[in-house]
Amino acid sequence: MMTYQDTVAPTGVGGPILRCDGITKAFGGVNAVNGATFEVPRNKITALIGPNGAGKTTVVNLLSGAMKIDSGKVQLGTTDITNLERYKIARLGLMRTFQLSRELGGLTVLENLLVAPKVQAGESLFNIFFRPRLLKREERQNLERALDILQTYGLYDLRDNRARELSGGQKKLLEISRGVMAAPSLFLLDEPMAGVNPALIERIGGYILDMKAQGVTVLMIEHNLNVVERICDNVIVLAEGRTLATGTMKELRENKEVVTAYLGEIINAGPGH
Amino acid sequence: MSQFWLAFGFGLVTASVLAIAAVGLSLQFGITNYINFAYGDFMALGAYLSYYFNAEIFHINIWIAMVFGSVIMGVLAVLINQFLLSPFARRFNKSFYVLIVTFGLSLILLNLLYSIWGANNRTYSMKLEIYKHIGPFLLNKYQIIVMIISVAVMVGVHLMLKTTRLGKSMRAMSDNTTLAMTSGIDTKRITTITWFLSGLLAGLAGTVLGITESQITPSSGELFLFVIFAAVIVGGVGSIYGAMAGALLIGLATEISAAYINPAYKLDIAFAILILTLLFRPNGLFARPGKA
Amino acid sequence: MAQFWFYVFTLVFFLFDYFILAMGLNIQYGETGILNFAYIGFVAIGAYVTGAVSLPNSVGTAQQYIFGFNMPFPFSLLAGGVASMLLAVVVAAITLRRLRTDYLAMVLISLSLVLYDVINNYVRLFNGADGLYNVPQPMAGVLHLTSNAFVVFFACVTGVISLIMWAGMSRITRSPLGRTFRAIRDDPDVASALGKGVFRYQLTSMLIGSFYAGIGGGLLIQFGGSFNPTAWLPGETFVVFAVIIVGGVGNNVGLLMGALLVETLLIHLPAFLPDIPGHPGLIEYIDAMVIGVMLMVMLWFRPQGIIPEKIRRFALPVGELLNRDGHSVEAPVEVASTVTSATSIGETHEGNQG
Repeated sequence: MMTYQDTVAPTGVGGPILRCDGITKAFGGVNAVNGATFEVPRNKITALIGPNGAGKTTVVNLLSGAMKIDSGKVQLGTTDITNLERYKIARLGLMRTFQLSRELGGLTVLENLLVAPKVQAGESLFNIFFRPRLLKREERQNLERALDILQTYGLYDLRDNRARELSGGQKKLLEISRGVMAAPSLFLLDEPMAGVNPALIERIGGYILDMKAQGVTVLMIEHNLNVVERICDNVIVLAEGRTLATGTMKELRENKEVVTAYLGEIINAGPGH
Repeated sequence: MSQFWLAFGFGLVTASVLAIAAVGLSLQFGITNYINFAYGDFMALGAYLSYYFNAEIFHINIWIAMVFGSVIMGVLAVLINQFLLSPFARRFNKSFYVLIVTFGLSLILLNLLYSIWGANNRTYSMKLEIYKHIGPFLLNKYQIIVMIISVAVMVGVHLMLKTTRLGKSMRAMSDNTTLAMTSGIDTKRITTITWFLSGLLAGLAGTVLGITESQITPSSGELFLFVIFAAVIVGGVGSIYGAMAGALLIGLATEISAAYINPAYKLDIAFAILILTLLFRPNGLFARPGKA
Repeated sequence: MAQFWFYVFTLVFFLFDYFILAMGLNIQYGETGILNFAYIGFVAIGAYVTGAVSLPNSVGTAQQYIFGFNMPFPFSLLAGGVASMLLAVVVAAITLRRLRTDYLAMVLISLSLVLYDVINNYVRLFNGADGLYNVPQPMAGVLHLTSNAFVVFFACVTGVISLIMWAGMSRITRSPLGRTFRAIRDDPDVASALGKGVFRYQLTSMLIGSFYAGIGGGLLIQFGGSFNPTAWLPGETFVVFAVIIVGGVGNNVGLLMGALLVETLLIHLPAFLPDIPGHPGLIEYIDAMVIGVMLMVMLWFRPQGIIPEKIRRFALPVGELLNRDGHSVEAPVEVASTVTSATSIGETHEGNQG
């Protein structure tokens, strides 16, 4: 099984890993996110659910620094990451996936993983020319880890294919495994199971549970409430850019407001949706 | 002070030429969302087409020749889009490819002009006009006509964008192509018309540039290209009104500075303004959310 | 006969020199995705600075230029490379952080035109439109070379330099740094979501590429002894693009092939043809058009170039690595087939903004 030896827990162990305080974001006068406030508990799998247009993806974009926050505050561990440059947020251990997978198409599957470790000695010109042995050692370690992960995710045989040649489901797996390779402390998954077949949903669910077992905190946007019920410890409900409720799935089912705003239609639609 | 006003007058002339060119470039950029690096050569080609009618066959009046030259340039632009640029833009989703193609097109057109007309300067066949004092300015008849043409073009473009169905469709497409397509706008037709207008304005700008500078060379458009880019970026890329304002600003700045520094560097002032804009207002001085 | 070898080695020189130039643009455009339309400007700075530092003090000569250090080869060449890098730092600091690809290309092509204008007009810098000339031929005096022998000698020197620079470039493109460059080329957003400071890497790539540009330019002036603005019209950038696109973006062997086809066969071979009577320069113009057309045809029918970018497999023995770790190499086959069936993606059930 893979190891997450690089995973660092930000200081303040025990408290929530992410604290999000009244963040807002407007697009041309429309508030997509309007004061969302929530916490993501450490070493848990938390789901971010809500009706279409609730601002879930925007929240992920704001947390990961892909978009600028208009007002409000985000804290990762004890570090204030509000409007920090995107790559710096990533270096603090917050990784994300995209709703529509974005593979690095010209790179091979293996290279997609090898590029992921946040800081590599081999990215310095000086090291390339003057410390070849350090490079070789580092590259070997990364390669072993990458191959391990690829094997776990069933992409091992495709390692030398260009990523743009993969199928949709494979791209989804590649994107998740690339994030895992980066050894995140908090992993934001934007609909990891959207548009994939039931067998693959099962597998991805398993991978997410594995991540948790390895000490990664997960925050995932998910529509499939069966999945949420089975793998998520905690749920945050977002509606109209605001936090409507938080709690376990069981608690939320008893919350009238949530049921009318969002859950009702899905519960009535029956399981399996 | 009088020197300042003289330079101001020349600045208005340069701004007039620049505004026509900048609007032509911006119209096309707004619709197709890539820069046409051959635009300077479109200008030169238009200028030589006018020259051909004016000085080589027909020997017609320069203003009429200008109309012929510009219209033909417009048609050529449509053909170039149809058979070269649009296929590349459709086939490759990275903008790299089509940009390199326009860059290559620029090389081809430039050398085509060199092969046909050679590297020597050419002048339009037109009567010499003396410079007259008009208020604080010193201008000749041709320069005044160029200014009038430019104002007419600006007003025309404004009316087209604001009042006609075509203009409204163009603005909609410039804001969001997919949305425009789903709301029933014939985007193909609009694109074709836009290329025609862009080519037309390029030809017009090239010819009036030749008239105001009293000479044309194959590379005159290319060397003018960065001044147009400066006007467009300073005004905010993709914004038609920004392009007009940018042209005015850059035109005045280059000519007025020429009164105080070595005139050989006057166009480089445009680049200096461009850099300052990038440093302090990277979206352009007149940019507002949304384009055009 | 001597004349024949003079021609051949002139072609050999240009082959290797453009190989160096192509590697420089390739790291910027082919590997990192920076559309540097000002590339020839960086070449020119390298040439001028190399020339100006290797010439004696300008006082008392018919030329005007800065420096004039009598600097010996190859230090003069390195000075050219470094000068080009300095220009890259300034340009990158102003433009890279602020502009998306096509605006960047606009600003860079403007830069190249302005640089051209300024060097042409500001005579005290590099002798204006006349350019630098009488630049001493490296080591020709020491080795007592005739001008024909110098051509042979210097073509070989350039060949050796280009091989060294090829080795250096391969090392970079095969390293994790090269991999990160390509990640940025493919999707800068993903690269920064993986913690890569995109600007820093683009700057590094600009620096490496402009060093190659500067060296390639320096070799031009050392070889020919002169350099003036007609040698670096903005359109020359396109020739280097043609070299790398025809040869194969992202493949160093392809670049050598591109240099051979475009630079040697299409540009310098026709230059030996006599002018068509009454049409001075016509051959050159037609030549440029042929290059333009060829590049478009190539982009359409074979965008990856004659020799495409290699799939980068790894030097480490993958299978052995896994066996040592106790994994079975066959294991994932059955899993992989499950994955293949999971294709339909694209329709997601959320129509969220962003």
